[in-house]
Amino acid sequence: MHRTVTRRPLIHRSPMPGLGLSMGITLTMISIIVLLPIGALLLKGASFGLAGIWETVNRERVWRALYLSFRLSLLAALFNLIFGVLLAWVLVRYRFPGRRLLDAAVDLPFALPTAVAGIALTALYAPNGVFGALAKEIGWKIAYSQWGIFLALVFVGLPFVTRTVQPVVEEIEREVEEASATLGASRLHTIRRVILPMLMPAALTGFALSLARAVGEYGSVIFIAGNIPLVTEIAPLLIVIQLEEFKYNEASAIGIAMLLISFAMLLVINLIGVWSRRRIGHV
Amino acid sequence: MSDITPYEGRFRSATEESPAARWTMIGVAVIGLGILVFAPLLVVFAEALSKGWWAAIKSLGNRDALAAIKLTLMIAAISVPLNAAFGIAAAWFITKFDFRGKAFLITLIDLPFSVSPVVAGLCIVLMFGANSWAGGWLVANGYPIVFALPGIALATMFVTFPFVARELIPVMVEQGRAEEEAALTLGASGWRTFWTVTLPNIRWALLYGVLLCNARAMGEFGAVAVVSGKIRGQTATMPITIEMSYNEYLSVAAFSMAAVLTLLALVTLLLKTALEIRHADQLASARRH
Amino acid sequence: MHIEIDEISKQFGTTAALAPVSLSIPSGALVALLGPSGSGKTTLLRILGGLEFPTSGRVRFDGVDATGLTVQERRAGFVFQSYALFRHMTVFENIAYGLKARPRASRPPKAEIARRVQKLLELIQLPEIGPRYPTQLSGGQRQRVALARALAIEPRMLLLDEPFGALDAKVRKELRQGLRDIHDETGLTTVFVTHDQDEAMELADLVVVMSGSQTGGRIEQIGKPADIRARPASDFVREFISA
Repeated sequence: MHRTVTRRPLIHRSPMPGLGLSMGITLTMISIIVLLPIGALLLKGASFGLAGIWETVNRERVWRALYLSFRLSLLAALFNLIFGVLLAWVLVRYRFPGRRLLDAAVDLPFALPTAVAGIALTALYAPNGVFGALAKEIGWKIAYSQWGIFLALVFVGLPFVTRTVQPVVEEIEREVEEASATLGASRLHTIRRVILPMLMPAALTGFALSLARAVGEYGSVIFIAGNIPLVTEIAPLLIVIQLEEFKYNEASAIGIAMLLISFAMLLVINLIGVWSRRRIGHV
Repeated sequence: MSDITPYEGRFRSATEESPAARWTMIGVAVIGLGILVFAPLLVVFAEALSKGWWAAIKSLGNRDALAAIKLTLMIAAISVPLNAAFGIAAAWFITKFDFRGKAFLITLIDLPFSVSPVVAGLCIVLMFGANSWAGGWLVANGYPIVFALPGIALATMFVTFPFVARELIPVMVEQGRAEEEAALTLGASGWRTFWTVTLPNIRWALLYGVLLCNARAMGEFGAVAVVSGKIRGQTATMPITIEMSYNEYLSVAAFSMAAVLTLLALVTLLLKTALEIRHADQLASARRH
Repeated sequence: MHIEIDEISKQFGTTAALAPVSLSIPSGALVALLGPSGSGKTTLLRILGGLEFPTSGRVRFDGVDATGLTVQERRAGFVFQSYALFRHMTVFENIAYGLKARPRASRPPKAEIARRVQKLLELIQLPEIGPRYPTQLSGGQRQRVALARALAIEPRMLLLDEPFGALDAKVRKELRQGLRDIHDETGLTTVFVTHDQDEAMELADLVVVMSGSQTGGRIEQIGKPADIRARPASDFVREFISA
């Protein structure tokens, strides 16, 4: 840094040892593993050109796949938002036999490989599976339809909201709830007007994480989806199909489109989060 | 004391829901998790053992299955220690020094969590594939990356990249620098300070991060599917083998392999829960994954 | 409102928090429950507010049995030690909360709510802070907002748990006078809990000195500040007020 006036040095002097080593390892590894590969994708996109990307994406099959992926991811994340908040509440506030088991089970979708989840859900919800047969009785097809994709996306996103909301529920001061009651509010009113607004920022963070996970999910979905073009074909699968045909340009175009849409969505959600956090006053 | 009115039993406290509401919510939670989590767990084992123990064990004993297990173990053995080393280095760099762009660096470390595994695989293919500049040179010199072990390891490292660092950074921020500074003033060398002061303080958090990293590394599917080429007995990991068996209607083989990975997941959860109960104070972000 | 406490006791599991105590609080009085921690003073206050239910005994408001009334039915203005303001609401919304929580039939119209909130803000001498959030207020301001919020529901009595506990000495003195003024203006029967004998003696018409014991908290002496100073009823009282 050959600047004559430096307001802040790039790296402050410190008595701590290991600056060179830790910085070297960090920057080298992040470059090789994350930055260079992502750079390669962006470079590919740049060489392909905006027009090329648009031409690839602007086909019915791609639009349908992108729309399906984002729509079902949004719905699944919404389901997880509601169920996750309920689960966090139940796990923190109530004492009942099996609570610890339930608490541990919430993390299973993090630990279980997605391919395993995929074939297990398919085995359950296929027309000859335990739940699938029941659903068939009432004419409801779950596996090999959009319901199946929704289910798989709910599964992979399940822990996020619960795990972000749980610590916040633990921190709610009992006096705040009591204050609401002494002011004449019914329990339901207290929950709607006092408790849920307090949980909202954390719940939104969990929602965003769940959404991001669902949009990119591949392993658990492809088994249960049926993968019929235009109907149950998700965007990540389309990338894999292009790659299997060695169409790198097309695959990159769809990949870049996915990245752009998810970053835009996450940006919006984060802005909502920042706004609501600021209102509550702990940034 | 003769006039005892049992009001406590009859009236609920101001901060509780009615028993009906409470049990309804518990019921919804139990049924929801039952359908979504416990049922899939059970069906894996039920399907694996549907033709008996012998069929399940035999399917795991064939050459390709054993090769897949070996490959998955090797991938984990490569990627987990490397990511752990990265996590420690990054956490040290970020928490022991002050520099510009720290928040940006943390965002970069988290980036792989918001990239689809399939896109991650795609990135690796574009960077190191035979048609790329770097990949072409490596292939010409006899070091293929994509459709070979290094590519699978790279893809795995990409998707598991943030786990250890994310666990360590908050813990080390909380612990501050005072203990290391004390050790240095007492004349300890940098390495000695790290081994005798820092590492003992972060060991449980490190173990926690490594556990999660390992579970994801052994189970990764999307990113690996893109870079592996799926050559039976050579580049097919356990999850890839599950897919291949399943698509060939070899249900017992697919679910037996799945059962092995499920057991691994259960052991991971068990250890993770044990860590959370016993060392909660040393796991800053234990609840935030 | 005249409050009668008749042989009230409270057990938490196997621990006795309150031995049977009786106390009569005349209408319009400003009463201090004074004692060390563990003397059951907060438990007694919470029983009055309907936040705890007694193990035995009765509470009567103006001669009518109120023991079984829920918190919501009691209409007790309660000021918590931590103030328990709603962080996601403005000061205005905090004060309006109790009025908006009423069932539709008895809920005042919007304009009326706004008018009452403004009046309360003037009563606590902070007319400008309606649009602010609690995190933007000083400790003393928060305490006064909590008081205004409790007054907004037109309470039948005012209950305060260590109302000055979280404040520094200077603000404490100011707010004591503030509470006295509000009490005199509204004429509400007011009970506050404190462990600070200066505060109790200076502010209250009637001081109830409590002590802890194996069988639960009990009342040592009830009297005017001057009487308690002049004639302590027990060694405990003598030591506590001279501390």
